[in-house]
Amino acid sequence: MKILLKLIILILPASFIWMFFLLLTEDDSIIGADYRNFALPEFNLEQLDESIFIDSSDLGDDYIINVWASWCITCRVEHPYLMSLNNKGVPIIGLNYKDEKNDALEWLSKFGNPYERIIHDYKGTLALDLGVTGAPETFLVQNGKIIAHYQGEINESIWNEVFSPIIEEKELF
Amino acid sequence: MRYINIFLIFFSLLVSSGTVYEFSNDEDEKRFNKLLNDIRCPKCTSGSLSSSNAPISEDLKQKIAEMINSNKTDNEIKEYVTKRFGKDSLYEPEFSRETYILWFSPFLVLILGLFFFLLRRKI
Repeated sequence: MKILLKLIILILPASFIWMFFLLLTEDDSIIGADYRNFALPEFNLEQLDESIFIDSSDLGDDYIINVWASWCITCRVEHPYLMSLNNKGVPIIGLNYKDEKNDALEWLSKFGNPYERIIHDYKGTLALDLGVTGAPETFLVQNGKIIAHYQGEINESIWNEVFSPIIEEKELF
Repeated sequence: MRYINIFLIFFSLLVSSGTVYEFSNDEDEKRFNKLLNDIRCPKCTSGSLSSSNAPISEDLKQKIAEMINSNKTDNEIKEYVTKRFGKDSLYEPEFSRETYILWFSPFLVLILGLFFFLLRRKI
């Protein structure tokens, strides 16, 4: 009986240490990446370069949504990579976040436009419904459902690590 | 008299700063303030919504005020927030199957400890 007790006293802390070791080291996810699925929120907002209102039915089936703004410095850094993605045939929808229309249009004419369509979210209502905390952020959308989300600048290595596996798995684009 | 004018200018500055949220009754306002203390600001390391005036927090506060005014329950509002900004948006973890171990493990350790204490005394 005494031996059993001593054994338990040893085993108990050891198993706690093991449990915390497993819990704290299992995390192999990439910081900023998020694969929770949820439906693209309803919206009806003006397009940036035309005065028409668009909603989710105007956007197509599979595409990525990129949240950007002319005041966002990281978006400027990210921009060349978006251009190359667009050249590779990935459809990109822009979500212009809390930006002045003229500033945004000027930014695009200066640096180029990688977006198929741009939603002008002046008040950030759609962005809030999407769970955006800042710019840039990127969402992968399949049939009106968000299947991947990345907070921060995307570049080649982030694209390959965060988005490519799921794009290959679902056979998108 | 001059001092009163200065005082009035300062007072009016205070009133005009910050957003004013309108509610139909006091209870809703209390709910709003409680929710703001219970929900973490999505952009901060650790700070509640009420402590933050980051643009995203202002948007979220506005949204919460709107949801309260359209008669949404606290749970619906918390669900809205956690769905978008993750479960760690709530300071107090919700009571669900996933969090049972979190809530009950201290009692479990206590009971185990007591058990061994009593067992030892008998030997």
